[in-house]
Amino acid sequence: MDKTTDITKKETKNIEKTHELYETAPAVDIYENENEILLHADMPGVLKENINVDIDNGTLSISGIRKLKIKGTPTYEEFTDVEYVRNFSVPQTIDVEKVEAELKDGVLRLHLPKSEAAKPRQIEIKTA
Amino acid sequence: MYTRLSDIDRLFGNMSLLQKRLNNLYDDYGRSSGYKWGFEHTSPRTNLYENGDNFELKAEVPGLAKEDLNVKIQGNYLEISGTRGSETPEGYKTHKIERGTGSFSRSFTLPADIDSSKVEATLKDGVLYLVLPKHEAAKPKKISIN
Repeated sequence: MDKTTDITKKETKNIEKTHELYETAPAVDIYENENEILLHADMPGVLKENINVDIDNGTLSISGIRKLKIKGTPTYEEFTDVEYVRNFSVPQTIDVEKVEAELKDGVLRLHLPKSEAAKPRQIEIKTA
Repeated sequence: MYTRLSDIDRLFGNMSLLQKRLNNLYDDYGRSSGYKWGFEHTSPRTNLYENGDNFELKAEVPGLAKEDLNVKIQGNYLEISGTRGSETPEGYKTHKIERGTGSFSRSFTLPADIDSSKVEATLKDGVLYLVLPKHEAAKPKKISIN
């Protein structure tokens, strides 16, 4: 066998892996008022169909994959394809059915409304 | 010989993985608690590609509308500036603010002159895309041999 083929040949046992995406946590802002919790997350370059928002057992997990098309040779690169992943504990008082999410200009905005029972209620004091 | 070479191959694989981890180390540092998007300290991260007649520049600018951004070009000098306002809604209590606000300005000296009249700028999903065609004199030319 030719020597060059020897060097380039890979062992068949070696498992080929898919390209590993670098995972990172997106920067988030969290706000709350009486009715809802708001969560804003920076996810530049992530498309709507590549975002996942799950609420399961008191854990909210958001993830988004960015795949950018590259044309030409890079002179320099400061960011690459990335997977944004972050988990949060949410209180049980969140009404999971009514959670809304929107994506605009690379910012994911989540509205987490509180369930009716959890909203603060003003009790009127009656004078006898 | 066979197995040896594959061992070396695997070793290099591990080394590049380690290198990747180390490269990412700095990005992760302190991220979970005090990470700021960096408007206060630095400017948005950018990538620059060269592609024959064009340069292509990408910049991460999440949450910025096109009105918030300014692009200036002169010769081979490019300047991107912008501001990101505070998004804190009225009547809400703040739990966490990691996404920085404020203004930034970043300038570049490109490797060649740009034909500023043909520059295209697009803003999509929080990423600014600039296509910067090289000036006629800077374009690669094919020389025919007589």
